[in-house]
Amino acid sequence: MRASLTAEQQLLYLRRNPICEGRGDVRRGALVWQFTAQPTPASRTYAIRIDLDRDKALKVVVESPDLPALAQGRDLPHVYREEPIELCLYHPRHGEWQPWMRLDQTIVPWTFLWLFYFEDWLASGEWRGGGEHPEPDAQEETTRWLRRATARPRRQAF
Amino acid sequence: MPDGSHPPHRFGSLFAGTPAYDASLRRKRHAFGFLDQVCQAIEPTETQQKRARDSYEAVGRWLAEDVLLVRALIYAQGSAALGTMIKPIGRNEFDVDVICRVPGYGRDLPPARLKAMVGDRLKAHGQYAKILEEKPRCWRLNYAGEFHLDVTPSILNPACANGGELVPDRKLRDYKATNPVGYRKLFEHRAELAILVRLAKALDGRVHAEVQPYPNHGLRKGVLRRTVQMLKSHRDHMFETGDADLAPLSIIITTLAMRAYELCVQRYPYDNELDLMCDTVRLMPVFIERQVRFGEPYFVVANETTEGENFAEKWNDDPRLAVAFQQWHGRALAALEAIAEAEGLDRLQKSVSDAVGEAPVRKAAGDVADSFARARATGTLGVAAGVGLAVASRAAAATPVPRNTFFGR
Repeated sequence: MRASLTAEQQLLYLRRNPICEGRGDVRRGALVWQFTAQPTPASRTYAIRIDLDRDKALKVVVESPDLPALAQGRDLPHVYREEPIELCLYHPRHGEWQPWMRLDQTIVPWTFLWLFYFEDWLASGEWRGGGEHPEPDAQEETTRWLRRATARPRRQAF
Repeated sequence: MPDGSHPPHRFGSLFAGTPAYDASLRRKRHAFGFLDQVCQAIEPTETQQKRARDSYEAVGRWLAEDVLLVRALIYAQGSAALGTMIKPIGRNEFDVDVICRVPGYGRDLPPARLKAMVGDRLKAHGQYAKILEEKPRCWRLNYAGEFHLDVTPSILNPACANGGELVPDRKLRDYKATNPVGYRKLFEHRAELAILVRLAKALDGRVHAEVQPYPNHGLRKGVLRRTVQMLKSHRDHMFETGDADLAPLSIIITTLAMRAYELCVQRYPYDNELDLMCDTVRLMPVFIERQVRFGEPYFVVANETTEGENFAEKWNDDPRLAVAFQQWHGRALAALEAIAEAEGLDRLQKSVSDAVGEAPVRKAAGDVADSFARARATGTLGVAAGVGLAVASRAAAATPVPRNTFFGR
Protein backbone atom coordinates (compact mmCIF):
# COMPACT_ATOMS: atom_id res chain seq x y z
CA MET A 1 0.00 0.00 0.00
CA ARG A 2 1.41 3.33 -1.04
CA ALA A 3 1.79 6.10 1.46
CA SER A 4 -0.94 8.74 1.45
CA LEU A 5 -0.09 12.19 0.23
CA THR A 6 -0.16 14.74 3.00
CA ALA A 7 -2.65 17.57 2.87
CA GLU A 8 0.26 19.96 2.28
CA GLN A 9 1.41 17.95 -0.72
CA GLN A 10 -2.11 17.90 -2.16
CA LEU A 11 -2.32 21.65 -1.66
CA LEU A 12 0.93 22.20 -3.51
CA TYR A 13 -0.23 20.12 -6.49
CA LEU A 14 -3.61 21.87 -6.57
CA ARG A 15 -1.89 25.26 -6.54
CA ARG A 16 0.39 24.30 -9.40
CA ASN A 17 -2.24 22.89 -11.77
CA PRO A 18 -3.78 25.66 -13.94
CA ILE A 19 -7.03 23.72 -14.45
CA CYS A 20 -8.09 24.29 -10.84
CA GLU A 21 -6.72 27.73 -10.15
CA GLY A 22 -8.18 28.83 -6.85
CA ARG A 23 -7.42 29.22 -3.22
CA GLY A 24 -7.23 27.08 -0.15
CA ASP A 25 -5.23 26.06 2.86
CA VAL A 26 -4.42 23.33 5.30
CA ARG A 27 -5.44 23.66 8.92
CA ARG A 28 -4.68 20.98 11.46
CA GLY A 29 -4.14 18.43 8.73
CA ALA A 30 -7.40 19.18 6.88
CA LEU A 31 -7.36 20.58 3.36
CA VAL A 32 -9.87 22.96 1.81
CA TRP A 33 -9.53 23.94 -1.86
CA GLN A 34 -11.95 26.24 -3.67
CA PHE A 35 -11.83 26.74 -7.41
CA THR A 36 -14.05 27.43 -10.39
CA ALA A 37 -14.72 24.87 -13.09
CA GLN A 38 -16.21 25.43 -16.52
CA PRO A 39 -16.52 22.04 -18.22
CA THR A 40 -16.81 23.56 -21.71
CA PRO A 41 -16.63 27.17 -22.90
CA ALA A 42 -20.42 27.13 -23.39
CA SER A 43 -21.03 25.93 -19.84
CA ARG A 44 -21.71 27.81 -16.64
CA THR A 45 -18.86 28.51 -14.30
CA TYR A 46 -19.27 26.46 -11.11
CA ALA A 47 -17.74 27.21 -7.73
CA ILE A 48 -16.37 23.99 -6.30
CA ARG A 49 -15.02 23.14 -2.86
CA ILE A 50 -12.95 20.10 -2.08
CA ASP A 51 -12.66 19.08 1.56
CA LEU A 52 -10.16 16.46 2.57
CA ASP A 53 -10.22 15.91 6.28
CA ARG A 54 -7.28 14.69 8.31
CA ASP A 55 -8.61 11.15 8.07
CA LYS A 56 -8.57 11.41 4.28
CA ALA A 57 -12.36 11.53 4.02
CA LEU A 58 -13.15 13.42 0.83
CA LYS A 59 -16.04 15.71 -0.04
CA VAL A 60 -16.66 17.58 -3.29
CA VAL A 61 -19.33 20.25 -3.03
CA VAL A 62 -20.82 22.55 -5.69
CA GLU A 63 -21.18 25.86 -3.86
CA SER A 64 -22.80 27.72 -6.73
CA PRO A 65 -24.92 27.87 -8.77
CA ASP A 66 -27.75 26.11 -6.93
CA LEU A 67 -27.97 22.69 -8.60
CA PRO A 68 -31.45 21.69 -7.33
CA ALA A 69 -32.77 25.03 -8.61
CA LEU A 70 -31.28 24.30 -12.04
CA ALA A 71 -32.77 20.80 -11.93
CA GLN A 72 -36.21 22.31 -11.24
CA GLY A 73 -37.40 19.57 -8.96
CA ARG A 74 -35.87 16.62 -10.74
CA ASP A 75 -33.68 14.30 -8.66
CA LEU A 76 -30.03 14.96 -9.33
CA PRO A 77 -28.11 11.96 -10.61
CA HIS A 78 -24.92 10.72 -8.96
CA VAL A 79 -24.92 12.82 -5.83
CA TYR A 80 -25.09 11.87 -2.17
CA ARG A 81 -28.45 12.62 -0.66
CA GLU A 82 -27.08 15.21 1.69
CA GLU A 83 -27.12 18.92 2.28
CA PRO A 84 -25.20 20.54 0.69
CA ILE A 85 -25.05 18.32 -2.35
CA GLU A 86 -21.89 16.29 -2.72
CA LEU A 87 -20.79 14.77 -5.99
CA CYS A 88 -20.26 11.01 -6.35
CA LEU A 89 -17.27 10.94 -8.63
CA TYR A 90 -15.85 7.47 -8.21
CA HIS A 91 -16.69 4.02 -7.04
CA PRO A 92 -15.30 3.57 -3.56
CA ARG A 93 -14.83 -0.18 -3.96
CA HIS A 94 -12.93 0.00 -7.24
CA GLY A 95 -10.06 1.91 -5.68
CA GLU A 96 -10.46 4.62 -8.32
CA TRP A 97 -9.42 7.17 -5.78
CA GLN A 98 -7.09 6.47 -2.88
CA PRO A 99 -5.32 8.85 -0.57
CA TRP A 100 -2.00 8.49 -2.37
CA MET A 101 -3.51 9.89 -5.57
CA ARG A 102 -3.26 13.55 -6.50
CA LEU A 103 -6.57 15.39 -6.23
CA ASP A 104 -5.71 17.68 -9.14
CA GLN A 105 -5.27 14.64 -11.40
CA THR A 106 -8.33 12.68 -10.31
CA ILE A 107 -11.05 14.47 -8.38
CA VAL A 108 -10.62 17.73 -10.29
CA PRO A 109 -10.93 16.27 -13.83
CA TRP A 110 -13.82 14.06 -12.65
CA THR A 111 -15.56 17.16 -11.33
CA PHE A 112 -15.30 18.73 -14.81
CA LEU A 113 -16.67 15.54 -16.29
CA TRP A 114 -19.55 15.38 -13.80
CA LEU A 115 -20.48 19.00 -14.56
CA PHE A 116 -20.46 18.30 -18.30
CA TYR A 117 -22.81 15.36 -17.89
CA PHE A 118 -24.93 17.37 -15.46
CA GLU A 119 -25.60 20.09 -18.06
CA ASP A 120 -26.16 17.44 -20.71
CA TRP A 121 -28.63 15.78 -18.31
CA LEU A 122 -30.42 19.09 -17.73
CA ALA A 123 -31.01 19.31 -21.47
CA SER A 124 -31.75 15.69 -22.33
CA GLY A 125 -33.01 14.14 -19.10
CA GLU A 126 -30.50 11.39 -19.71
CA TRP A 127 -27.29 10.81 -17.74
CA ARG A 128 -24.78 9.84 -20.40
CA GLY A 129 -21.79 9.60 -18.11
CA GLY A 130 -22.36 6.00 -17.08
CA GLY A 131 -21.77 4.83 -13.53
CA GLU A 132 -23.41 2.65 -10.95
CA HIS A 133 -26.49 3.19 -8.87
CA PRO A 134 -26.86 1.47 -5.54
CA GLU A 135 -30.42 0.31 -4.70
CA PRO A 136 -32.45 3.35 -3.62
CA ASP A 137 -33.24 1.90 -0.18
CA ALA A 138 -29.60 1.01 0.29
CA GLN A 139 -28.68 4.65 -0.10
CA GLU A 140 -28.20 5.47 3.54
CA GLU A 141 -26.36 2.24 4.09
CA THR A 142 -24.07 3.05 1.16
CA THR A 143 -23.34 6.51 2.40
CA ARG A 144 -22.31 5.12 5.76
CA TRP A 145 -20.34 2.37 4.12
CA LEU A 146 -18.56 4.91 1.96
CA ARG A 147 -17.45 6.89 4.92
CA ARG A 148 -15.97 3.82 6.50
CA ALA A 149 -14.33 2.71 3.27
CA THR A 150 -12.59 5.96 2.55
CA ALA A 151 -11.71 6.98 6.05
CA ARG A 152 -11.03 5.91 9.55
CA PRO A 153 -13.77 6.90 12.02
CA ARG A 154 -14.58 10.44 11.16
CA ARG A 155 -13.66 13.32 13.34
CA GLN A 156 -15.02 16.81 13.10
CA ALA A 157 -12.57 18.70 10.90
CA PHE A 158 -14.06 22.17 11.09
CA MET B 1 -9.93 47.86 -44.62
CA PRO B 2 -12.53 48.36 -41.95
CA ASP B 3 -13.20 52.02 -41.34
CA GLY B 4 -12.94 51.69 -37.58
CA SER B 5 -16.61 52.29 -36.97
CA HIS B 6 -18.34 50.04 -34.49
CA PRO B 7 -19.83 46.85 -35.77
CA PRO B 8 -23.57 46.58 -35.33
CA HIS B 9 -23.30 44.01 -32.55
CA ARG B 10 -22.88 45.41 -29.09
CA PHE B 11 -19.88 44.72 -26.94
CA GLY B 12 -21.81 45.84 -23.86
CA SER B 13 -19.54 46.62 -21.00
CA LEU B 14 -17.02 44.01 -22.06
CA PHE B 15 -13.66 45.12 -23.31
CA ALA B 16 -11.37 43.03 -25.40
CA GLY B 17 -8.69 41.37 -23.34
CA THR B 18 -10.54 41.23 -20.03
CA PRO B 19 -11.34 37.81 -18.53
CA ALA B 20 -15.09 38.36 -18.96
CA TYR B 21 -14.59 39.25 -22.61
CA ASP B 22 -12.36 36.24 -23.19
CA ALA B 23 -14.93 33.96 -21.58
CA SER B 24 -17.68 35.40 -23.75
CA LEU B 25 -15.50 34.99 -26.83
CA ARG B 26 -14.76 31.35 -26.03
CA ARG B 27 -18.43 30.73 -25.36
CA LYS B 28 -19.50 32.18 -28.70
CA ARG B 29 -16.87 30.22 -30.60
CA HIS B 30 -17.97 27.07 -28.86
CA ALA B 31 -21.62 27.85 -29.59
CA PHE B 32 -20.81 28.31 -33.27
CA GLY B 33 -19.00 24.96 -33.26
CA PHE B 34 -22.19 23.43 -31.90
CA LEU B 35 -24.30 25.15 -34.59
CA ASP B 36 -21.90 23.71 -37.14
CA GLN B 37 -22.67 20.22 -35.80
CA VAL B 38 -26.39 20.91 -35.75
CA CYS B 39 -26.18 21.99 -39.40
CA GLN B 40 -24.47 18.72 -40.22
CA ALA B 41 -27.48 16.99 -38.71
CA ILE B 42 -29.96 18.95 -40.85
CA GLU B 43 -28.22 18.69 -44.21
CA PRO B 44 -28.25 15.59 -46.41
CA THR B 45 -25.20 13.42 -45.80
CA GLU B 46 -22.28 13.35 -48.24
CA THR B 47 -23.46 9.94 -49.43
CA GLN B 48 -26.98 11.21 -50.05
CA GLN B 49 -25.66 14.22 -51.93
CA LYS B 50 -23.40 12.05 -54.05
CA ARG B 51 -26.34 9.76 -54.89
CA ALA B 52 -28.28 12.82 -56.06
CA ARG B 53 -25.34 14.05 -58.15
CA ASP B 54 -24.85 10.67 -59.80
CA SER B 55 -28.54 10.55 -60.58
CA TYR B 56 -28.81 13.93 -62.26
CA GLU B 57 -25.66 13.32 -64.23
CA ALA B 58 -27.21 10.11 -65.56
CA VAL B 59 -30.37 12.05 -66.40
CA GLY B 60 -28.20 14.62 -68.19
CA ARG B 61 -26.55 11.94 -70.32
CA TRP B 62 -29.94 10.50 -71.27
CA LEU B 63 -31.25 13.94 -72.26
CA ALA B 64 -28.18 14.91 -74.25
CA GLU B 65 -28.50 11.79 -76.43
CA ASP B 66 -31.80 13.04 -77.81
CA VAL B 67 -31.64 14.54 -81.27
CA LEU B 68 -33.56 17.66 -80.21
CA LEU B 69 -31.55 18.15 -77.07
CA VAL B 70 -28.06 17.61 -78.42
CA ARG B 71 -25.37 19.01 -76.15
CA ALA B 72 -27.95 19.76 -73.46
CA LEU B 73 -26.12 20.52 -70.25
CA ILE B 74 -27.41 19.55 -66.84
CA TYR B 75 -26.20 21.18 -63.66
CA ALA B 76 -27.34 21.86 -60.11
CA GLN B 77 -28.90 25.15 -59.17
CA GLY B 78 -30.16 26.58 -55.89
CA SER B 79 -29.09 25.08 -52.58
CA ALA B 80 -27.67 21.93 -54.19
CA ALA B 81 -25.24 24.14 -56.10
CA LEU B 82 -24.52 26.49 -53.21
CA GLY B 83 -23.91 23.89 -50.49
CA THR B 84 -26.84 25.16 -48.41
CA MET B 85 -29.21 22.21 -48.66
CA ILE B 86 -31.25 21.16 -45.66
CA LYS B 87 -33.56 18.21 -45.18
CA PRO B 88 -37.24 19.08 -44.93
CA ILE B 89 -39.03 18.48 -41.64
CA GLY B 90 -41.18 15.38 -41.54
CA ARG B 91 -40.34 13.77 -44.85
CA ASN B 92 -37.40 11.80 -46.09
CA GLU B 93 -36.87 13.27 -49.54
CA PHE B 94 -34.87 16.45 -49.98
CA ASP B 95 -35.16 18.59 -53.11
CA VAL B 96 -32.46 18.88 -55.71
CA ASP B 97 -32.98 21.53 -58.38
CA VAL B 98 -31.21 21.12 -61.68
CA ILE B 99 -31.19 23.11 -64.87
CA CYS B 100 -31.20 21.44 -68.24
CA ARG B 101 -29.78 24.05 -70.59
CA VAL B 102 -30.69 23.36 -74.18
CA PRO B 103 -28.42 25.06 -76.71
CA GLY B 104 -29.33 26.15 -80.22
CA TYR B 105 -32.71 27.68 -79.52
CA GLY B 106 -33.86 31.26 -79.07
CA ARG B 107 -36.85 33.06 -77.63
CA ASP B 108 -38.90 32.07 -80.64
CA LEU B 109 -39.12 28.53 -79.26
CA PRO B 110 -42.37 28.53 -77.27
CA PRO B 111 -41.69 27.78 -73.59
CA ALA B 112 -44.31 25.02 -73.57
CA ARG B 113 -42.50 23.39 -76.47
CA LEU B 114 -39.15 23.57 -74.68
CA LYS B 115 -40.64 21.97 -71.63
CA ALA B 116 -42.34 19.26 -73.71
CA MET B 117 -39.06 18.38 -75.47
CA VAL B 118 -37.45 17.57 -72.14
CA GLY B 119 -40.56 15.83 -70.82
CA ASP B 120 -40.92 13.65 -73.90
CA ARG B 121 -37.36 12.51 -73.64
CA LEU B 122 -37.77 11.64 -69.95
CA LYS B 123 -40.96 9.69 -70.74
CA ALA B 124 -39.05 7.68 -73.32
CA HIS B 125 -36.91 6.18 -70.55
CA GLY B 126 -38.56 3.19 -68.87
CA GLN B 127 -37.35 4.01 -65.35
CA TYR B 128 -37.80 7.77 -65.52
CA ALA B 129 -41.30 7.46 -66.96
CA LYS B 130 -42.38 5.61 -63.80
CA ILE B 131 -41.13 8.25 -61.39
CA LEU B 132 -41.92 11.32 -63.49
CA GLU B 133 -44.29 14.02 -62.28
CA GLU B 134 -45.17 17.21 -64.14
CA LYS B 135 -44.84 20.53 -62.30
CA PRO B 136 -45.86 23.95 -63.66
CA ARG B 137 -42.35 24.91 -64.80
CA CYS B 138 -40.32 21.75 -64.48
CA TRP B 139 -40.28 17.97 -64.45
CA ARG B 140 -39.89 16.16 -61.17
CA LEU B 141 -38.27 12.74 -60.82
CA ASN B 142 -39.28 11.14 -57.52
CA TYR B 143 -36.54 8.96 -56.13
CA ALA B 144 -38.75 7.62 -53.35
CA GLY B 145 -37.17 7.75 -49.91
CA GLU B 146 -34.19 9.66 -51.27
CA PHE B 147 -34.81 12.94 -53.09
CA HIS B 148 -36.84 14.82 -55.65
CA LEU B 149 -34.98 15.88 -58.75
CA ASP B 150 -36.62 18.95 -60.30
CA VAL B 151 -35.44 19.42 -63.88
CA THR B 152 -36.08 22.91 -65.25
CA PRO B 153 -35.30 23.43 -68.96
CA SER B 154 -33.59 26.63 -70.02
CA ILE B 155 -32.22 28.41 -73.08
CA LEU B 156 -29.50 31.02 -73.26
CA ASN B 157 -30.53 34.63 -72.76
CA PRO B 158 -28.90 36.61 -75.58
CA ALA B 159 -29.86 39.88 -73.85
CA CYS B 160 -27.90 39.08 -70.71
CA ALA B 161 -24.31 40.22 -70.69
CA ASN B 162 -23.59 37.91 -67.75
CA GLY B 163 -24.34 34.71 -69.64
CA GLY B 164 -27.77 34.37 -68.05
CA GLU B 165 -30.53 32.04 -69.11
CA LEU B 166 -34.25 32.04 -69.77
CA VAL B 167 -36.66 29.59 -68.14
CA PRO B 168 -40.38 29.14 -68.79
CA ASP B 169 -42.66 31.14 -66.50
CA ARG B 170 -45.33 29.37 -64.49
CA LYS B 171 -47.97 29.78 -67.18
CA LEU B 172 -45.58 28.67 -69.93
CA ARG B 173 -46.52 31.79 -71.90
CA ASP B 174 -43.19 33.50 -71.81
CA TYR B 175 -39.66 33.18 -70.54
CA LYS B 176 -38.22 34.79 -67.48
CA ALA B 177 -34.62 35.76 -66.93
CA THR B 178 -32.47 33.87 -64.50
CA ASN B 179 -28.79 33.17 -64.01
CA PRO B 180 -28.01 30.16 -61.83
CA VAL B 181 -24.37 29.97 -62.90
CA GLY B 182 -23.72 33.66 -62.26
CA TYR B 183 -25.57 33.49 -58.96
CA ARG B 184 -23.54 30.52 -57.83
CA LYS B 185 -20.27 32.28 -58.69
CA LEU B 186 -21.30 35.39 -56.79
CA PHE B 187 -22.38 33.36 -53.77
CA GLU B 188 -19.14 31.39 -53.74
CA HIS B 189 -17.11 34.55 -54.06
CA ARG B 190 -18.87 36.07 -51.07
CA ALA B 191 -18.74 32.88 -49.01
CA GLU B 192 -14.98 32.84 -49.43
CA LEU B 193 -14.33 36.45 -48.45
CA ALA B 194 -11.69 36.56 -45.75
CA ILE B 195 -12.94 37.52 -42.32
CA LEU B 196 -10.87 40.10 -40.53
CA VAL B 197 -10.34 39.30 -36.92
CA ARG B 198 -10.15 41.77 -34.10
CA LEU B 199 -7.37 40.85 -31.74
CA ALA B 200 -6.95 42.53 -28.43
CA LYS B 201 -3.43 43.46 -27.53
CA ALA B 202 -2.40 45.24 -24.39
CA LEU B 203 0.15 47.97 -25.01
CA ASP B 204 1.03 50.75 -22.60
CA GLY B 205 -1.58 49.27 -20.29
CA ARG B 206 -4.30 50.04 -22.83
CA VAL B 207 -6.22 47.83 -25.14
CA HIS B 208 -5.58 48.26 -28.84
CA ALA B 209 -7.46 46.48 -31.53
CA GLU B 210 -5.42 44.80 -34.18
CA VAL B 211 -6.80 43.32 -37.31
CA GLN B 212 -5.64 40.08 -38.86
CA PRO B 213 -7.10 37.41 -41.13
CA TYR B 214 -9.39 35.04 -39.28
CA PRO B 215 -7.79 31.70 -38.42
CA ASN B 216 -9.26 28.66 -40.07
CA HIS B 217 -10.79 26.45 -37.39
CA GLY B 218 -11.16 23.49 -39.69
CA LEU B 219 -14.90 23.97 -39.77
CA ARG B 220 -16.26 22.24 -42.80
CA LYS B 221 -18.23 25.12 -44.23
CA GLY B 222 -17.84 28.85 -43.86
CA VAL B 223 -20.08 31.13 -41.87
CA LEU B 224 -22.26 32.22 -44.81
CA ARG B 225 -23.40 28.70 -45.76
CA ARG B 226 -24.12 27.84 -42.12
CA THR B 227 -26.03 31.10 -41.71
CA VAL B 228 -28.23 30.28 -44.69
CA GLN B 229 -28.84 26.76 -43.41
CA MET B 230 -29.73 27.99 -39.92
CA LEU B 231 -32.11 30.59 -41.37
CA LYS B 232 -33.86 28.18 -43.71
CA SER B 233 -34.17 25.66 -40.94
CA HIS B 234 -35.62 28.29 -38.61
CA ARG B 235 -38.11 29.22 -41.30
CA ASP B 236 -39.16 25.57 -41.80
CA HIS B 237 -39.54 25.15 -38.05
CA MET B 238 -41.52 28.37 -37.62
CA PHE B 239 -43.90 27.76 -40.53
CA GLU B 240 -44.30 24.05 -39.88
CA THR B 241 -47.47 24.66 -37.90
CA GLY B 242 -48.48 27.99 -39.40
CA ASP B 243 -49.33 29.16 -42.89
CA ALA B 244 -46.67 27.41 -44.96
CA ASP B 245 -47.64 29.43 -48.06
CA LEU B 246 -46.33 32.57 -46.39
CA ALA B 247 -42.88 31.17 -45.55
CA PRO B 248 -40.11 33.33 -47.04
CA LEU B 249 -38.51 31.80 -50.12
CA SER B 250 -35.06 30.25 -49.81
CA ILE B 251 -33.79 32.39 -52.67
CA ILE B 252 -34.81 35.57 -50.82
CA ILE B 253 -33.19 34.40 -47.58
CA THR B 254 -30.03 33.37 -49.41
CA THR B 255 -29.75 36.57 -51.45
CA LEU B 256 -30.26 38.90 -48.50
CA ALA B 257 -27.88 36.84 -46.35
CA MET B 258 -25.07 36.83 -48.89
CA ARG B 259 -25.33 40.58 -49.42
CA ALA B 260 -25.44 41.34 -45.70
CA TYR B 261 -22.56 38.94 -45.11
CA GLU B 262 -20.44 40.74 -47.68
CA LEU B 263 -21.21 44.08 -46.06
CA CYS B 264 -20.30 42.84 -42.58
CA VAL B 265 -17.11 41.12 -43.63
CA GLN B 266 -15.88 44.05 -45.66
CA ARG B 267 -16.66 46.68 -43.07
CA TYR B 268 -16.06 45.12 -39.69
CA PRO B 269 -13.55 42.88 -38.01
CA TYR B 270 -14.84 39.90 -36.00
CA ASP B 271 -13.33 37.73 -33.33
CA ASN B 272 -15.96 35.00 -33.49
CA GLU B 273 -18.26 33.49 -36.09
CA LEU B 274 -21.44 33.85 -34.08
CA ASP B 275 -21.26 37.65 -33.91
CA LEU B 276 -20.72 37.67 -37.66
CA MET B 277 -23.74 35.38 -38.12
CA CYS B 278 -25.93 37.63 -35.94
CA ASP B 279 -24.80 40.80 -37.70
CA THR B 280 -25.39 39.23 -41.09
CA VAL B 281 -28.95 38.38 -40.14
CA ARG B 282 -29.47 41.78 -38.55
CA LEU B 283 -28.49 43.61 -41.74
CA MET B 284 -30.48 41.47 -44.20
CA PRO B 285 -33.46 43.85 -44.49
CA VAL B 286 -31.11 46.61 -45.68
CA PHE B 287 -31.06 44.86 -49.04
CA ILE B 288 -34.81 44.86 -49.57
CA GLU B 289 -35.48 47.79 -51.88
CA ARG B 290 -38.66 49.61 -50.95
CA GLN B 291 -40.04 51.57 -53.87
CA VAL B 292 -43.38 53.25 -54.31
CA ARG B 293 -45.37 52.51 -57.45
CA PHE B 294 -48.79 54.06 -57.99
CA GLY B 295 -48.83 55.07 -54.33
CA GLU B 296 -48.32 51.51 -53.17
CA PRO B 297 -45.19 50.04 -51.60
CA TYR B 298 -43.26 47.97 -54.09
CA PHE B 299 -40.60 45.51 -52.93
CA VAL B 300 -37.57 44.43 -54.88
CA VAL B 301 -35.03 41.79 -53.91
CA ALA B 302 -33.01 41.92 -57.08
CA ASN B 303 -31.06 39.15 -58.70
CA GLU B 304 -27.77 41.00 -59.07
CA THR B 305 -26.56 38.62 -61.76
CA THR B 306 -29.16 39.31 -64.41
CA GLU B 307 -31.60 41.99 -65.47
CA GLY B 308 -35.25 41.68 -64.67
CA GLU B 309 -35.48 39.04 -61.94
CA ASN B 310 -37.12 40.23 -58.73
CA PHE B 311 -37.14 37.44 -56.17
CA ALA B 312 -39.73 39.33 -54.11
CA GLU B 313 -42.13 39.79 -57.01
CA LYS B 314 -44.96 37.96 -55.25
CA TRP B 315 -44.77 40.29 -52.25
CA ASN B 316 -46.24 42.98 -54.46
CA ASP B 317 -49.31 40.86 -55.21
CA ASP B 318 -49.76 39.58 -51.67
CA PRO B 319 -48.78 42.06 -48.94
CA ARG B 320 -49.00 39.28 -46.33
CA LEU B 321 -45.74 37.92 -47.70
CA ALA B 322 -43.78 41.05 -46.79
CA VAL B 323 -45.33 41.01 -43.31
CA ALA B 324 -44.52 37.32 -42.89
CA PHE B 325 -40.93 37.98 -43.88
CA GLN B 326 -40.65 40.76 -41.34
CA GLN B 327 -42.08 38.58 -38.57
CA TRP B 328 -39.90 35.65 -39.47
CA HIS B 329 -36.80 37.82 -39.65
CA GLY B 330 -37.45 39.33 -36.22
CA ARG B 331 -37.84 35.92 -34.68
CA ALA B 332 -34.85 34.41 -36.44
CA LEU B 333 -32.64 37.26 -35.24
CA ALA B 334 -33.95 36.96 -31.67
CA ALA B 335 -33.35 33.20 -31.78
CA LEU B 336 -29.74 33.66 -32.89
CA GLU B 337 -29.13 36.32 -30.27
CA ALA B 338 -30.50 33.97 -27.61
CA ILE B 339 -28.03 31.33 -28.81
CA ALA B 340 -25.19 33.85 -28.56
CA GLU B 341 -26.18 34.71 -25.00
CA ALA B 342 -26.90 31.21 -23.69
CA GLU B 343 -24.81 30.18 -20.69
CA GLY B 344 -24.85 26.48 -19.93
CA LEU B 345 -24.88 23.57 -22.37
CA ASP B 346 -28.52 22.94 -21.50
CA ARG B 347 -29.49 26.53 -22.31
CA LEU B 348 -27.44 26.44 -25.49
CA GLN B 349 -29.25 23.28 -26.57
CA LYS B 350 -32.61 24.75 -25.58
CA SER B 351 -31.99 27.96 -27.51
CA VAL B 352 -30.91 26.06 -30.63
CA SER B 353 -33.93 23.75 -30.29
CA ASP B 354 -36.17 26.80 -30.13
CA ALA B 355 -34.60 28.01 -33.37
CA VAL B 356 -34.52 24.87 -35.52
CA GLY B 357 -36.34 22.13 -33.61
CA GLU B 358 -35.29 19.44 -31.18
CA ALA B 359 -34.32 16.54 -33.40
CA PRO B 360 -31.08 17.92 -34.92
CA VAL B 361 -30.04 19.33 -31.55
CA ARG B 362 -30.52 15.97 -29.86
CA LYS B 363 -28.45 14.38 -32.61
CA ALA B 364 -25.62 16.92 -32.32
CA ALA B 365 -25.56 16.76 -28.50
CA GLY B 366 -25.48 12.97 -28.72
CA ASP B 367 -22.51 13.17 -31.08
CA VAL B 368 -20.63 15.36 -28.60
CA ALA B 369 -21.39 12.97 -25.74
CA ASP B 370 -20.30 10.02 -27.90
CA SER B 371 -16.99 11.64 -28.78
CA PHE B 372 -16.34 12.27 -25.07
CA ALA B 373 -17.30 8.67 -24.26
CA ARG B 374 -14.84 7.37 -26.85
CA ALA B 375 -12.09 9.65 -25.57
CA ARG B 376 -12.80 8.55 -21.98
CA ALA B 377 -12.56 4.91 -22.97
CA THR B 378 -9.26 5.39 -24.76
CA GLY B 379 -7.78 7.70 -22.13
CA THR B 380 -7.51 10.64 -24.52
CA LEU B 381 -9.91 12.95 -22.72
CA GLY B 382 -8.23 15.81 -20.88
CA VAL B 383 -8.95 19.05 -19.06
CA ALA B 384 -7.05 22.16 -20.10
CA ALA B 385 -7.06 25.57 -18.47
CA GLY B 386 -9.35 28.00 -20.26
CA VAL B 387 -10.76 25.20 -22.42
CA GLY B 388 -12.32 22.67 -20.10
CA LEU B 389 -12.82 19.14 -21.36
CA ALA B 390 -11.12 18.40 -24.65
CA VAL B 391 -9.86 15.43 -26.56
CA ALA B 392 -6.29 15.47 -25.33
CA SER B 393 -4.51 15.50 -28.66
CA ARG B 394 -6.01 18.93 -29.29
CA ALA B 395 -4.83 20.48 -26.04
CA ALA B 396 -1.17 19.91 -25.29
CA ALA B 397 -1.08 21.00 -21.66
CA ALA B 398 -4.11 19.00 -20.62
CA THR B 399 -4.57 17.01 -17.45
CA PRO B 400 -5.82 13.56 -18.52
CA VAL B 401 -9.13 12.37 -17.13
CA PRO B 402 -8.50 8.97 -15.51
CA ARG B 403 -11.14 6.26 -15.59
CA ASN B 404 -13.88 6.59 -13.05
CA THR B 405 -17.31 5.23 -12.21
CA PHE B 406 -19.89 7.79 -11.17
CA PHE B 407 -21.59 6.39 -8.13
CA GLY B 408 -24.60 7.12 -5.99
CA ARG B 409 -28.23 7.39 -6.94
